[in-house]
Amino acid sequence: EKASKAALDEEVKITRKPQAPRVKLDEDRLLSAAGIPKLRNKAKHHLKFKGKGHEYSDTARLLSFYQLWLDDLFPKARFLDALAMVEKMGHKKRMQMMRMEWINEGKPRPDNDDLF
Amino acid sequence: MEFGDGRRDVVDPEVRAYVSSLVTALGGSGADEDGRYVLGDDALACLRDLKKWLKLYDEKANRLDVARCLAESNLVGGDLLQILAAWPENATEDRLKSKIALACLELLVPLTWPLEKDTQAMTVNHHRHIPYLQIAQLGYKRAIINFDGARILHTAVRCALPSMAEAMGDRSTRDEGIIKLLLYFVRNIAMIAPPPNVQYEGDEAEISRSATIDAFDYQDILHLLLTVSSTMGEEFNTQDVVVLDILFHLIKGVDIEKLFVDEAKADNSKIDELKRLRQKEASMLRSYQVNAPTRHNRFGTMAWMQREDSKMTTISGQSAIMDSTRSLAKMDSTKKFKPPRKALKGEKGPMDFDTPVMLNVQANKHLRTFVEDFLDAGFNPLFSHLRKAIDREAERILEYHPRQFFYLVSWFLEAERVRRKSKVPSKGQKPEEIDNYSLVASVLNQEMFVTLNRAMEQTFENKSWQDLSAAMKCFTQILLTVQEMSESPLEEDQEIAENILSRIFYEETTHDRIANLTRTYKDQGFGYLDSCTELAHHYLRILEQYSKQNVDMQVRSRRRIRRKKKAARADGEDDPNDDVDDSDGEDEARAEKVSRDRKFDFKRFASRFVTQGCVDTFVTFTAYYNDLKPAQLKRAHRFFYRVAFKQDMSVMLFRVDIVALLHKMIKGPEGLDPQASCFKEWDELVKQVLKKCIRKMQERPELVVEMLFSKINSTAQYLEYGYEKQTASAK
Repeated sequence: EKASKAALDEEVKITRKPQAPRVKLDEDRLLSAAGIPKLRNKAKHHLKFKGKGHEYSDTARLLSFYQLWLDDLFPKARFLDALAMVEKMGHKKRMQMMRMEWINEGKPRPDNDDLF
Repeated sequence: MEFGDGRRDVVDPEVRAYVSSLVTALGGSGADEDGRYVLGDDALACLRDLKKWLKLYDEKANRLDVARCLAESNLVGGDLLQILAAWPENATEDRLKSKIALACLELLVPLTWPLEKDTQAMTVNHHRHIPYLQIAQLGYKRAIINFDGARILHTAVRCALPSMAEAMGDRSTRDEGIIKLLLYFVRNIAMIAPPPNVQYEGDEAEISRSATIDAFDYQDILHLLLTVSSTMGEEFNTQDVVVLDILFHLIKGVDIEKLFVDEAKADNSKIDELKRLRQKEASMLRSYQVNAPTRHNRFGTMAWMQREDSKMTTISGQSAIMDSTRSLAKMDSTKKFKPPRKALKGEKGPMDFDTPVMLNVQANKHLRTFVEDFLDAGFNPLFSHLRKAIDREAERILEYHPRQFFYLVSWFLEAERVRRKSKVPSKGQKPEEIDNYSLVASVLNQEMFVTLNRAMEQTFENKSWQDLSAAMKCFTQILLTVQEMSESPLEEDQEIAENILSRIFYEETTHDRIANLTRTYKDQGFGYLDSCTELAHHYLRILEQYSKQNVDMQVRSRRRIRRKKKAARADGEDDPNDDVDDSDGEDEARAEKVSRDRKFDFKRFASRFVTQGCVDTFVTFTAYYNDLKPAQLKRAHRFFYRVAFKQDMSVMLFRVDIVALLHKMIKGPEGLDPQASCFKEWDELVKQVLKKCIRKMQERPELVVEMLFSKINSTAQYLEYGYEKQTASAK
């Protein structure tokens, strides 16, 4: 009887594996190679439009372009949810700086004469 | 007390014993008296004792035990109503009987009093009894308004008639109390409705709004309301808030357009509506059927999508192989993850005014007559009296009264406009015969604007969104009324309207506030969203119209002023600093300058609405497109049109989720009904926006990234025009 009581008193240790960290759609992911750099790259080479008269089909193409990119980047969220998450990221300081940089890249170089 | 099966009674047995013995002693009906109700010997004392129980036990100790016992013993249906019914019209003078009737009323009021949850004072007892009592109150209401033998509400009015007949100054405190008692009784009856989370098991039709309105009409309560509100300030004073409360619960959620449809037309429009709804359903089914599988559900289609880097995605189901959009949609729909989301805030309790209410034909007719009479007689006295009370923060004004006030003002103003529209103006009518707007003048004065502005300011700061929603509705209706006034053939109306409009036009704080309200929408619920988009829409529209007023009209109005002043001068009144002497030629030059300035001012004002916040609010609103009415869809359409083409900032709409929404509205699945009247203009707008979007993307490749985000104004400016906004102009 004593033995069984001792067995009862013995502390039962519960060991649990630490949970795998949840994958998040954060700035790091968005700025990584699979993120916006890839989007820009793909857009440059693969995104083609038919132009006038094909507004709806062009838009459908554009939407699926974004959808596939987001599916690669963050597969678990639905398209519209992921879009909202990305939009929210855009308010972060770091993202805004990067956005400015990307826009400035596209701007025409100012002529040297204008600088003084 | 312990029951046989081990349950315990929820009420102290001693209390139950006392109360039920009192109820028994009150009286009853028996076979000896042909089933008539016979009063007990000491009925009056019993009634008074019951009242004492309610007051000294329930109220003092903050329990609901006595109310529960009374509900279980069927005091209301079994005794009180019988006693009231036995007070015949011709025995009004009978002192004892009228005393007993009054004592019944004194019991009915606390029993039907609205039960409030979520207060700090709630105890275990409240949690135990309130669900039971809520259902019991529904039973009370049903019994009271559907009582066969007599008009119970009418009888209640008779209790208070002697007090009401006294002149206001001569009334004693007791008289005032009795009048209040009666009005609160009516309020309670109007207010009782099934709580939002409870399914009422009896016949809904017996306690519905239609039944209430019918009963109020049949029992002359509507007359009472008219009398009290039209003599407010003369015969009645502090009763205004109770009347406000009653009116609010009577008309909240009633659709005004439907109220003023003719009966013959109503029949037709019902058939039309049926047709329309069936068409809508058919088009909905059609859009499903386009995507529906053509074979049985175990057909087992499997497709894969080749992606870059030799990646594959498999998709099952036949819809997957139809086209790439469908397969992508299918792929999306299999995902399980949901980001955390906040619930929408919104009122669900008795103070909710956004839930629409249907009325039957009979109730519609009664309410319409009442509304017309009220507009003719009661509107000005009641609402100006209330406004004054709110302004000086009178003690009787409770926290929810301003909300009811603004909601009612907006409701009645709209009713007045709809009534005017439904009146066919006969040809050859002289201008003197046309009604002016004096019937609603009490809410168009400067004091009202001050009250309203202050209310909007405060409720916005305190984040009480329902109150703000009501105030916005009120402001919208005032604007619409003023605008109609400015189109009235009467010169006097025109002049007043012009004054008001010009004041609004130059009031920067109001501009800021409205732009701010539109910008800051965030899960306040659909009712709020509807009010704030409606306000923004009409505000912009009316000011735009005002800014466009042509030179000719201004010259005319200046001439009118001059003529008036001349007349005044002829009458001998002398105004030293008036500028009567300017001539016609000067008038025109001046008018031209004014209209130029106004155009500029308007442009500046409208640009405040071209922020991402405002666009987001309207996008959220448009996302409900399948449930919106044509007028609401038009509102969203005009806004997007304004942003993209009038203000030339279509860049604000170039965001993937907005583009996806616009695309979905037209091309589906579950898009707008192509047969709907507004489909065509939406199609045109969306096409133009998308066209611009595609063109812009080709023009500026950096938009690919910016499409994902909200743009700040400077980047938007660059993306739209290709240069930064100049902040300081070089000389």
